Amino acid sequence: MPDELLPEIAEVTDELLLLFRQAGAGLDRHGAFDSLALRVHAAQRVCNPVLSRFWGAASPDEPSAWHEIPPVPVQAFREVPIVAGSAEVVFRTSGTTGGAGRRGEHHVASLELYRAAARNNYRRHLFGGAAMLDVISLVPSPATVPDSSLATMSGFIAREPEVARTTWAFHPGRGVDLDAFREAAAAAVSDRRPILLLSTAFALVQLLDGLGRERSRLPEGSRIMETGGFKGRAIEMDQATLYGRAERTLGVPRSHIVNEYGMTEMLSQAYDHVAGEGRRTSERVLRFPPWVRTRALDPADLAALPPGRPGLLAHFDLANAASVCHLLTEDYGHTTEDGGVRLLGRAPGAELRGCSLAAESFLRALGRGAGARAATS
Amino acid sequence: MTEAWIWPPGLPGPSAHVRRRAGDLALRHPAPEAGKPEALLAALRNGHRDLAAIPSGDLVRLVGAAAETLTVEIGSAGIQEVAANARLSSPMTRVILDGMAASWNTDALDRLVRTEFPDPRALDGFVAETEPRAGESTDASAKRRVRAAAPPVTLHFGAGSVPGVSVTSMIRALLVKSAVLVKPGAGDIALTVRFARLLHRADPRLAGAAAVQYWPGGAPQWESWERGLLTGADQVVVQGSGATIEAIRARAPASTRLIEHPHRIGVAIVDPVGAPGAVASTARAAALFDQRGCVSTHLVLLLSGRDLAAHWCGELAASLAATATALPAGPSTPGELSARRQLEGRVAMKAAASPAIRLWPSDGAGWSVVLGPSEAFEPGGGRTVWVVQVADPEGALGVLSSLSPVLQTVGLAGLDGRAGFAEALYSLGATRIVPLDRVPFPEADWFHDGSRPLRELVRWGELR
Repeated sequence: MPDELLPEIAEVTDELLLLFRQAGAGLDRHGAFDSLALRVHAAQRVCNPVLSRFWGAASPDEPSAWHEIPPVPVQAFREVPIVAGSAEVVFRTSGTTGGAGRRGEHHVASLELYRAAARNNYRRHLFGGAAMLDVISLVPSPATVPDSSLATMSGFIAREPEVARTTWAFHPGRGVDLDAFREAAAAAVSDRRPILLLSTAFALVQLLDGLGRERSRLPEGSRIMETGGFKGRAIEMDQATLYGRAERTLGVPRSHIVNEYGMTEMLSQAYDHVAGEGRRTSERVLRFPPWVRTRALDPADLAALPPGRPGLLAHFDLANAASVCHLLTEDYGHTTEDGGVRLLGRAPGAELRGCSLAAESFLRALGRGAGARAATS
Repeated sequence: MTEAWIWPPGLPGPSAHVRRRAGDLALRHPAPEAGKPEALLAALRNGHRDLAAIPSGDLVRLVGAAAETLTVEIGSAGIQEVAANARLSSPMTRVILDGMAASWNTDALDRLVRTEFPDPRALDGFVAETEPRAGESTDASAKRRVRAAAPPVTLHFGAGSVPGVSVTSMIRALLVKSAVLVKPGAGDIALTVRFARLLHRADPRLAGAAAVQYWPGGAPQWESWERGLLTGADQVVVQGSGATIEAIRARAPASTRLIEHPHRIGVAIVDPVGAPGAVASTARAAALFDQRGCVSTHLVLLLSGRDLAAHWCGELAASLAATATALPAGPSTPGELSARRQLEGRVAMKAAASPAIRLWPSDGAGWSVVLGPSEAFEPGGGRTVWVVQVADPEGALGVLSSLSPVLQTVGLAGLDGRAGFAEALYSLGATRIVPLDRVPFPEADWFHDGSRPLRELVRWGELR
């Protein structure tokens, strides 16, 4: 743990580190999650007076369960640094879609905690059945984009002992490096090592467009982690079409294409299945590790909705112990009876406007605009 | 099923339709391949000949009578249809319609035409210029005869979801004898089509010169249709976001005249000591149109100390709550509610971080009041009022100087628009400076974004 963590948070994050390394063992015991969540909440109130005031204004009552802690809307990350102590790294949203002003910033006090929260999960979903593999990343390298949480996680993946070689084949300014991709793919074929291709949906489309009719069959056992979406991009493609194209062009069956859901403001991720499992894409649901709880909330009154009823997704992520755990997202989806999450996209119904200026246009007109968050960055 | 189109009589109807929802209204409109823009424009161009032959005074009476019939005949079912389309509450829709209709009746239109054209017969043919030009004698002036008319066909792109905006635009075009095709905003379809039907019923010459059709602007399958219209129309009036205006600019040929009305924000400057009723006026100016109008007040510059400002904001919150009962907000989509939650959360976090910011939230009722520094202001919509405390009128001007590019209406309460202050506001970009309680409904002859509403449509001719 870095020295900058305040003692109250350091104590609980030490415990969380251990918990994450043990894949959340014991969290399913009755009251275990609540107990830990309330301790984290208490520590956050002590260490972060801004959060304390925010919660005090939102609800005068002391919470007795994790879901009684008022969620913080993710756009609040644009306003003030939300961190207990000082940040080891600041992740920034990529600023591609609606909303206002500046980019959101997640001040992360401990990269070690981020790695521990991410690692068990990505290993389970992406590494299964491969003794060694090569990584080709269409996510920029952490050296290129140090303020990207996705790039940082890709860096974690590249450091795994099973990874023989990593090729960073995407540059934020130039896009997909087709030559680097071809070279890395050929080397993996030659070495008979499967490839783990890390990509945003947007970059994957760019790759497939770039390859055109060229077939670039990746070695057997190769798998793809696809994340993000197309928010604010010039092109859009539904997931089934994208996966079909990837299958035809790269020879990676859909069973080996895994969707990851993450966001800058949250250190844990969800995956929709384990690479190689034969689940049909329509049957897949996102699953978080056991230290995350998700609810769909009625947008009108933020009341929790039963499984199957769509609403605004709110996540409680214990890995955010040093920032804020309970997040109200702009994503729309529903939970499933067995604890999964189905993402439906952004909440439907664009804001009605007449001839009055919307915030984003207002800021642009005044030269103050920057954009907003992306699903992952 | 509401028909989201009406074409001039004699033109074959569309061969196929598209069904969709606009707001909470089910409607249908011609499919992209079901009509030819050239044929529609040709029909309107043909209709223009008969329209142009109507004497201006008769035209005012015909159009004014149709508008008066609209407000009388619409009934509660019509109000509900318009409300569903705009996703406003029915009481709000009724108030909006009544407010706007005051600028559509025959008297108002007659005043408008006479204000814009000292001798309205200039719209019918060459007339002697009524006012001498600088440096010329009355005799010399009389030697020049002048004529004014809009080009044969005007295409209007409407903005969003304020009912009545497209009706106003249609009226303006007809008064200067331009046949008009209106593409209403998605939330302004029902009222526009309803009014066009009344025009068609009122006189065959109006029927031949007035058309309405909705289509999803900028959609790829409509590109050819839009390009055909932009190429064939003589002038285009566009009300919309910066992105919409830029997209139309990029596709309209140089020969097509563009008249642009970008989105704006409304501001109020209030001296609470001199205007005890300003709280209610502010609440009404923010609440009407659910804050979607270009005249809607988003920002209040309050001439007061901090304590009084906080007290005033509390009163404003109470007034907005009361207004929400009398003029309920329209139904909100999950996306709108989500945006509001995020905005409130951001402001609440700002308030938690800075004692300079205070928030009066409505807890889901849709309105909120924020007291904070001007640099934090951004329009929130949905009846969000930002109040910035300033020491004096000079302080207000200082704040407004950074908002120049988006200014339009400034409502005053407790201050008079004395010449020096009004001059400063105008210099900053304000084109409408009015008492706060008159903010929501501009008069028929208001300078819309600084332009005369009829004169901006016409071209002048002189005969010496």
